[in-house]
Amino acid sequence: MANLLALVHNETIKVWRKKRFAVVLLVLLVLIPVFVYAQAKIARNNAEKFADWRAEVQQRITDNTNALSSDRIPDEWKKWRRALVQQLQYYLDHDVNPNTPNAVTFTSSFLENSVTLFIPLMVLAIASDLVSSERSAGTIKMLLTRPVRRWRILFAKWVTLILYVSLIVVSTTVLAYLISGLAFGYEGWGEPVFVGFGLNGTDIDTSAVHAVTRGQFLLMEMGLVWYSALIVAFIALLVSVLLRSTAASLVTMMAAVISGAILANMASSWHSAKYLFNVNLDLTVYLRGTPPPIEGMTLGFSLAVLGVWGLAALAAAFAVFTKQDVMN
Amino acid sequence: MSHMRPSESKLWPILGFAALACTLLMLSGFVLALRDAWYPAPSVALPEASAPPTATAGSLADKPKLLVTALGDSLTRGTGDETGEGYVKRTIDLLKQAFGKPVTLVNNLAVNGLTAVRLVDQLDEKGVQESVGRADIVLLTIGGNDLFQIAQNGGSVAQGGDISPELLKRLLPQTEPLMDDVFAKLRKINPNARIVCVGLYNPFYDLPEARPVSASILDWNDYVHQLATADGNATIVPTYDLFEANVKTYLSSDHFHPNSQGYARIAERIVQALQ
Repeated sequence: MANLLALVHNETIKVWRKKRFAVVLLVLLVLIPVFVYAQAKIARNNAEKFADWRAEVQQRITDNTNALSSDRIPDEWKKWRRALVQQLQYYLDHDVNPNTPNAVTFTSSFLENSVTLFIPLMVLAIASDLVSSERSAGTIKMLLTRPVRRWRILFAKWVTLILYVSLIVVSTTVLAYLISGLAFGYEGWGEPVFVGFGLNGTDIDTSAVHAVTRGQFLLMEMGLVWYSALIVAFIALLVSVLLRSTAASLVTMMAAVISGAILANMASSWHSAKYLFNVNLDLTVYLRGTPPPIEGMTLGFSLAVLGVWGLAALAAAFAVFTKQDVMN
Repeated sequence: MSHMRPSESKLWPILGFAALACTLLMLSGFVLALRDAWYPAPSVALPEASAPPTATAGSLADKPKLLVTALGDSLTRGTGDETGEGYVKRTIDLLKQAFGKPVTLVNNLAVNGLTAVRLVDQLDEKGVQESVGRADIVLLTIGGNDLFQIAQNGGSVAQGGDISPELLKRLLPQTEPLMDDVFAKLRKINPNARIVCVGLYNPFYDLPEARPVSASILDWNDYVHQLATADGNATIVPTYDLFEANVKTYLSSDHFHPNSQGYARIAERIVQALQ
């Protein structure tokens, strides 16, 4: 056990020294202000145009209703818009503002928008070269000739990966909150937000809808984002074991993640795509109650699909890593 | 680990504990999300709903600022206007000049293809009621879809070919009373607003076989005018004359909705009626 802890210690410091996490933080520090600025502009524009938030929400409802009557809009989008209209109507009926401009709502929507691409990308920055970099640097021989069982080495790398994924999700959230607070103010933790919208054919089922605080909502979103980020990390670990070059493993994983984002937008008629891990990454849709990319997907389903992919990737990674010959 | 630099001897405890704490936090968030999905429980009481603001009585000239809510069908939406402004935005701009005070659009609640029956339903929605309830001026176009639906013998209305003037004339008496409900409901929601209803026109005036439709249009406008007179604080703005002599100038390419010039004319007339 002490041996394992020492290995994790070693791996964690190694990743830190490679400055990968510093790069992640730097990217966040550059990107978040850009989005905050854009969001602040939208908020100011809305404040100028609308008498209050009720008028703004009502206008969104009307505009989406108009889009529903257009024949040019594909049916899947209509389904999405119809759900949105009914949700907004629910907020209006209960006199709750669905998006007050504050740091907590900004952070929530930043997480929702980054779960399919941005967070996985940052996870890959660390996960993709966990094993392959040892190979390309030649240090893998040093690592494997030490009197430590091979599975322990990979296990330590796996634990390190989990730790860094947690660090990435938390620092994304904290930075988004701190930076957006400068523009929107730091309040909003106790505001109500509705969860539990179900889908019943084309209609929203409001029987299980209940209000939770924005703070709890954010924590739940972080948990779900963390879960899908872990799965991406585990699959990246396998790819990193299989491929010799870090560049190749990074490109492979990026292609998988990006194609998932594209598929989620256009594969609603291809039903078996729902068994792909990359289509299931956005678990926050279930929390928000927006229709999932493919009909029939539920929170339990997506968690299970992601879980199976993650476990299979880990099993394969361990099997290959412990048997693999190390050449050159 | 023997080659560790001095500053890094502190790094591991800090980094290790921070990462562990983050992991536990994420795990708790994940568990919380699952529990909320499968065993939902509210964690916050909803705040007391505040009473929505309502329009005050008094003449338009006396009020410090004016709020406008627009209701109705594609005409209020501005369909056919290549600038996207429609008559609503133009009216607001002209009202600002005419009254010399702030005039704000609360909402444009128009829905393409809306009929009088569906407008009555729409007026039951809470957000719509709030929006109409606070307005000093309510702009309205409605009825066109009702009329051209009953006059339709199949085929596209916008093509004009399948309009049956006889059918329209026969079914008109059943359709007109729909406007009673519209006016009654608007008044119930907002006792003080000035209601401005834009009258209907015959977009097919240039087609000889559809010219008799104009008689029914005038009949409809007259019916709505009586409602407005009975109401006392409502105005009907006629538009049928604009589109008789100048169909090509004022109608858009769909031969049904006004173009930007047509909407500009409608806006001018609304402002003239309000001054």
